[in-house]
Amino acid sequence: MTSRLKRKLNDLGVDTASTKANESFCLIGTPLPPLEKSKDTGEFVPLWKQEVRDEKGRRRLHGAFTGGFSAGYFNTVGSKEGWTPSTFVSSRSERAKQKAVRPEDFMDEEDLAELRESRKLVDEHDEMDFGGTEAELRRRAGAESAENDSIASALEASFAPAPKDSVGARILKKMGWRLGQGVGPRVTYAQRKAQGAGLPAREEDEDEEAKKHLFPRRDTPVLVAQKKANFHGLGYVPGMRLEESVGAGDGGRGKGPQLSEGFGLGALNDADDDDVDVYGGDIGRRGRTQMAYDVTDLDDDGHIAIGSSRTRSVARGPDNRAPAASNQTFSDGRPVLKGFLLSDRPVSEDRWFPLSEVPSGWKPNPRRVWESDKNKENVDTTRQGRDVPPPKTHAEWKESFMSADQRGSLLGETPLPSEPRSVFDYISQKDRERLQNIRNTLPEAAAPSQPESGPSPVAPYVRGELYIPHLHPSVAKAALQGFQPFTTDPMKQSRYTAFLHFQANRVDSSDVGLGLGPLPGQSIDDFNKELEDYAKSATVFKPLSGAMAGRFRSAVIVENGPKVIEGLHTPDLSEMKDEEEQKEEEKSEDPKMGAVRMGLYGPMTREVQPWQPTRLLCKRFGVKDPEVDMTSVAASASADIATPTAAAQAPLQIDAGPSDVASAGAAGVGFVSTGTMEGEGGDASRSGPRNLANIGLGEDEDQGRDTLTYKRPAMDIFKAIFASDEEDNTEDEEVDEKDVSKEPDSTGRAGPSQPTSGRSTAEPSVLSAPPPIDGTSASYEPPTNGASATEKVDLASFKPTFVPRSERDSRKERDKEVGKDKKDKKKKSSKATLSFDVEDDGFGPSLGAPRPKDKDRERKKKRRKERKEEEEDDSIWVEAPPPEAVKTLPTDAPTDVPMEKSPDDTNVVTKEAGPPRGRKRAIDFM
Amino acid sequence: MAPSRGPAPLARTLHQTLQNHKGAVHVVRYARGAAKYVLSGGQDRTVRLWNPDVGTEIKKYAAHGYEVLALSVSHDNAKFASAGGDRSVFLWDVMTGATVRRIAGHMAKIFAVEFNEDASVLASGSYDSTVRLWDIRSQNRQPIQTLEDARDAVQTLHVGQTYILTGSVDGHVRTYDLRMGELRADFIGYPVASVVPSQDGQTYLAATLDSHVRLMDAQTGKLLNDFTGHENAAYRSRACFGHGEASVIMGDEQGMVWAWDLLDASVLQPNPPPKVHHKAITWVEHHPIEPSEMVTASADGTVKVWRHPS
Repeated sequence: MTSRLKRKLNDLGVDTASTKANESFCLIGTPLPPLEKSKDTGEFVPLWKQEVRDEKGRRRLHGAFTGGFSAGYFNTVGSKEGWTPSTFVSSRSERAKQKAVRPEDFMDEEDLAELRESRKLVDEHDEMDFGGTEAELRRRAGAESAENDSIASALEASFAPAPKDSVGARILKKMGWRLGQGVGPRVTYAQRKAQGAGLPAREEDEDEEAKKHLFPRRDTPVLVAQKKANFHGLGYVPGMRLEESVGAGDGGRGKGPQLSEGFGLGALNDADDDDVDVYGGDIGRRGRTQMAYDVTDLDDDGHIAIGSSRTRSVARGPDNRAPAASNQTFSDGRPVLKGFLLSDRPVSEDRWFPLSEVPSGWKPNPRRVWESDKNKENVDTTRQGRDVPPPKTHAEWKESFMSADQRGSLLGETPLPSEPRSVFDYISQKDRERLQNIRNTLPEAAAPSQPESGPSPVAPYVRGELYIPHLHPSVAKAALQGFQPFTTDPMKQSRYTAFLHFQANRVDSSDVGLGLGPLPGQSIDDFNKELEDYAKSATVFKPLSGAMAGRFRSAVIVENGPKVIEGLHTPDLSEMKDEEEQKEEEKSEDPKMGAVRMGLYGPMTREVQPWQPTRLLCKRFGVKDPEVDMTSVAASASADIATPTAAAQAPLQIDAGPSDVASAGAAGVGFVSTGTMEGEGGDASRSGPRNLANIGLGEDEDQGRDTLTYKRPAMDIFKAIFASDEEDNTEDEEVDEKDVSKEPDSTGRAGPSQPTSGRSTAEPSVLSAPPPIDGTSASYEPPTNGASATEKVDLASFKPTFVPRSERDSRKERDKEVGKDKKDKKKKSSKATLSFDVEDDGFGPSLGAPRPKDKDRERKKKRRKERKEEEEDDSIWVEAPPPEAVKTLPTDAPTDVPMEKSPDDTNVVTKEAGPPRGRKRAIDFM
Repeated sequence: MAPSRGPAPLARTLHQTLQNHKGAVHVVRYARGAAKYVLSGGQDRTVRLWNPDVGTEIKKYAAHGYEVLALSVSHDNAKFASAGGDRSVFLWDVMTGATVRRIAGHMAKIFAVEFNEDASVLASGSYDSTVRLWDIRSQNRQPIQTLEDARDAVQTLHVGQTYILTGSVDGHVRTYDLRMGELRADFIGYPVASVVPSQDGQTYLAATLDSHVRLMDAQTGKLLNDFTGHENAAYRSRACFGHGEASVIMGDEQGMVWAWDLLDASVLQPNPPPKVHHKAITWVEHHPIEPSEMVTASADGTVKVWRHPS
């Protein structure tokens, strides 16, 4: 307990030693901090220990070395480290959350308070103080209350800040209005007197003088309706005393100062004379009310109104009478509500007039009404008298003035050296002459300009009469030779030509000889329109003349868009036929749907096509490249086009593909053209009658196929042409091997010498490439090897493909190793990535394949290089001679593997070629 | 329970309701492996990871700008792919909740994504009527291959060991067989909403918008069984096999979960099933291991986990 509290308790007479005073009521919960420890604010603190804190208890003043006033991390912006700018944080991901930042977001409560203060919208001083604003009322009321003490009020007025006028008041003042005057034009003295009839006539002696002047109108009090902010009934005054509530008292007067002079008393209160002095117990109040009443009375008596003072004063009549009739009763005896009056006029019914009947033939004619009334304000009287010239177009209007040049020439001025106006001024004299020549040679080039501008916007013909638009014969002739716009409509075309012929031979403007008339069912107007169309199109489609003509090519057909039929659609017979045909087509296309309806799923609803997955996809799926017979579709579609000879030779073996090409080649066709390779890219488009793939090819679906599906001929063709024999011999084993397999050398060995016998190692690009046809062996024996040793090779369906053995082997290896690699990778990934599934890590730690030793490194390098070469082989097609290092490498594989090997030869070969291959390559560890 | 012929009854006791999604849930997938977790994607552009056992939301994956229509979890549960209205496939890291990769390339919204076995290839099927196969191993932006055979939106796909199964609105189920190198297109006749192959790959279930689920023979394209009774005419709803592939489960547009005997195509009791969702059921997935658990996602914004009463 602090000493202060003790003292206080002592003062109060409580024994501080008693247990009651020391009793602790705080039994449960967090104990309050002990009182002893609380800072005694009165305690002396040395100056260096004193802290400046703001009202929130925050430390505001730090030492000069610790940040100064309000600095630092805890009070304001910045960070613990000081004023380090915040690092950039991308708000890209939070764009949706981002909202516009307001300055308020950075303000602390002080700033906010300031802001709030400055935001006070209402300025107390900015009011118009000449009427019933509240401030004015208050002021006036105050003045009235202190009327007796005029000096005090004057003093008060002088102390109070001068009221600032509102904008309206200032404007009014500038217009000559003064406070206390009414608004409106000044009036004569008599009028003013009439307005202020109730005023004490103190200026009577000045009458003579006053009549010479105009006076401002009398001020009118602004009628201010008091806002009813309470829920009391009308006429109820909240603070009424008993005697007032009984009815005699004047409640309104109790609030006298609050009441406006212009409002209320007359209407809501029984302001009769006799109750003014009856209950005047309170003198101050009394005086006040009296004043209020007097002022009101004064205003009421005066005929004061801006506009309709007379009516207002008339209207006030009943008001004035109201006190007398305050105890009126309704016809049923109930008293009239206080403050209301019975109307002495009966409720008038509105008279209602029936609509006058409209005469049957009547039509509204506002113009007649307008003209029947002669005295109108807005009628342009100047126009009525004389003839009004017809309105001119802008050009005419411009013409009607004299131009500066004309005026100058009239005045005899020397024309100013005007600037060159056209491009021709820049053209050299020579060119200009040439142009002139060309122009002269043109057949009346200038002439057509006249008829072109001929059809003026206003139709020059009378409705219902035949009008033949004028066309210059030259234009007509030219149009006859030029583009024919209506070729799609022969009838129209014939009419058009007839029209043109007529125009070309037209002698004068007579209509005789027009070879065509309106069609049956065509009105004259329509015919006119048609002719006009012809004229227009003739001018449009006449061939370009002279020098320009050679520069353009005209389109073939213009009206090739869909025919738009106006109006309601009436089906045509031919269209019906078309639709039927379409339907038939659909039907014929739709056996599948029929099968579906019947529930006959199976072969009816199944379509099987070859599909070539990409190599990478197969690799990723761990599947060997399927040998897709993509040619089968193509061959069936284009067998007769592409390889007629082949089709003739092997009519039953449609899918013979390259093999019959081979035979064809053997038959002496020689080099296979790229034509045999077609049908591979386009086969997909063949399947549908018309799909996206063949749009734009027109009728000829094969159009552009050669270019689209062009495949480079097999490598060995190039080699046969370009490669020299020496190179072959010096190349390393693999290239050599490849060469052996591919090179159609001069030994007469069969060209497609290393077929892979249908093993699915072919790569798609090689797959479809036709074999080089060079060999002489029309009936060559497929070298048996490997898996197909025992199989009988179907020559027809057999496709020799060229895959370098090394590649095959390496691929095999890869296939083998892919699994391993995958496993390794899997293990790695399962270790590296955190998985939310714990059980899933099914892979035990398994070491990868033993890493090759250092002595293998050289080999590895070599192999890498070789691989690179292989890749280059694929991409570049022209072999570079192997690098020296490769050349010098010892190769224990036979350099020349004879193709006529025993069936189990492949294995031997692979083994022989093996040593580097059997090992892991560096690539596998990359 | 007495041993009875036919499949085990469907788990019809509500175990948990996962309802943090705002708006329809389009897809819900079990994690791989023991499938202890559930991923759901919905109209609110988020993917949420749940523990269906206790019904808590573990994580929210929010990067999509449009609705999420498809999800696929990788084999090691470390990544998952999601796709939807924003025309690109998002590859997520499960733990960090950040997108590892965003694969753009489709021209329209994507309805289906699926990893292959070892998550090296991702297939995505889209409204642009293509299926694109993306290489996840490399950073190549181009797809490995684009399958453009569909004439209409590809609504569903499944990537098997050696084949890719796609279902399209043009009424075809296309099987791309990588080993054979052939494409088998089965004309179902009605827009295919979901295709789910059986474990052995011999048959597949095709749910179509004519309120049929058909069990088709993958080899011959013949119809093996036809399951009807439910109502599915407008929304994509997935049909799936029940436990042990003894039954077929599908949620319909009334919010009912239907179950049929796989063999005799009779509706399992109760028939008709009770209405368990307010709105259409968009996805049904049976637990891959647990015989008595399945999840349903619905357009009413909830994912419900069903179990047998234990």
